[in-house]
Amino acid sequence: MTAREDMDGMTVDEVLAMDFALGALDRNERRAVDLRLRSDPAFSAIVDAWTTRLSPLEDATAGVVPSADIWSAIEAEIAPAPRRPATAPDAAKPSLWNSLMLWRVASVAAVAAALIAVAQVGPAPPPAPGAPPQLLVAALAGADGRPLLSAAYDPLRGAVVLTPATQRQDDGKSAELWVIEGKNPPRSLGVIDIKDPSKHVIASDQLKGLEAGATLAISIEPYGGSPTGQPTGPVVATGTLRAI
Amino acid sequence: MIAPSPGAAELSALLARAADGDRQAFGIFYQRTSAKLFGIILRILIERTEAEDVLQEVYVTIWRKAAEFDSTRASPVTWTATIARNRAIDRLRARGSRPSAPLEEAAEVRDHSPSADVIIDGNREAAHLNAALATLEPRHAAAIRSCYFEGITYETLAAREGVPVGTLKSWVRRGLMRMKTDLSTVHEGRTA
Repeated sequence: MTAREDMDGMTVDEVLAMDFALGALDRNERRAVDLRLRSDPAFSAIVDAWTTRLSPLEDATAGVVPSADIWSAIEAEIAPAPRRPATAPDAAKPSLWNSLMLWRVASVAAVAAALIAVAQVGPAPPPAPGAPPQLLVAALAGADGRPLLSAAYDPLRGAVVLTPATQRQDDGKSAELWVIEGKNPPRSLGVIDIKDPSKHVIASDQLKGLEAGATLAISIEPYGGSPTGQPTGPVVATGTLRAI
Repeated sequence: MIAPSPGAAELSALLARAADGDRQAFGIFYQRTSAKLFGIILRILIERTEAEDVLQEVYVTIWRKAAEFDSTRASPVTWTATIARNRAIDRLRARGSRPSAPLEEAAEVRDHSPSADVIIDGNREAAHLNAALATLEPRHAAAIRSCYFEGITYETLAAREGVPVGTLKSWVRRGLMRMKTDLSTVHEGRTA
């Protein structure tokens, strides 16, 4: 997108990024920008640059101490649900994990990660008696430790939410999401359609029993997904699900 | 571009611990940053109860997104301030209009010129930015500050200033582009 607006040689994107960072857009325009920020890294970078450029203005903002009860309210919201019985500690990674590490090659920068994929999968599996379902989250990072996306599984809604993507898609390839539970072989949760992430639906039986401690991984596969049912391409991001 | 301050390094470390689920570290992070973020939100929303509501949302968001924070891309203060600003502006837009503050309060709210001590004590980046703003037409610089600090739309500000929206947009956008040029000259000058 290098279309230029007829004002002073500024590109349309530069103007939009500037308006957004300044905070001058109306509700619909802001919503449109929010969506674009999740799918357009180049545009996102222009917005980041403007945000950073303008941020020293905040030095002039005087701090105001909020009421003391705000922190208690935040604390209550981020408190963990009661612990489930022992999840596998990170230190004792199954041997399968190690073999995963072997085929994790990948120039991370060259590959895709998912955008937002919200999968509505119908009624969730019932939680274990006495244990309110916990929200499970995983930060998936590339081999260099750089976070690529985060995944959240909400047993109550029966939905997996993936946010946000940072990389462009490798044409002709598919990004496939896997879960590795204990010593079991990786189980596919399906191909993530980067062009239309809302299509990404995970069947509820595939999500059944998803627990903290399981590993999520994204591999790059031939178009349409792994031909073997096991990951065949480079793993570009991995992360451990933990309860929050 | 911006050298991380010792404070920023500490805040980044606290965020990293929060990403691992350390609520105590997040509590310290809250203590260090909440007055600043509340100031930002309150300035946009004016109403204290609503601003506190947004503040709470903002910290829950920061907690959930802590793992996404990348200290090589932004300082922790800029990252969190951006979340706070955007949440506050979204709330303002959802509400439709900004409450009209009492006159004397409004005068205070609208005076966005940095005071002398801020220029002296503020960091170098802020000084450069304010210097760049100072080279603009006062009315143009004031428009930029109003949009930024109050989170109001071009339309709202144009109505308040009694100028056509197109004129106001042109003031602000040309002003910002000139600031951008000035700032990059300053940065090049420093690294040369």
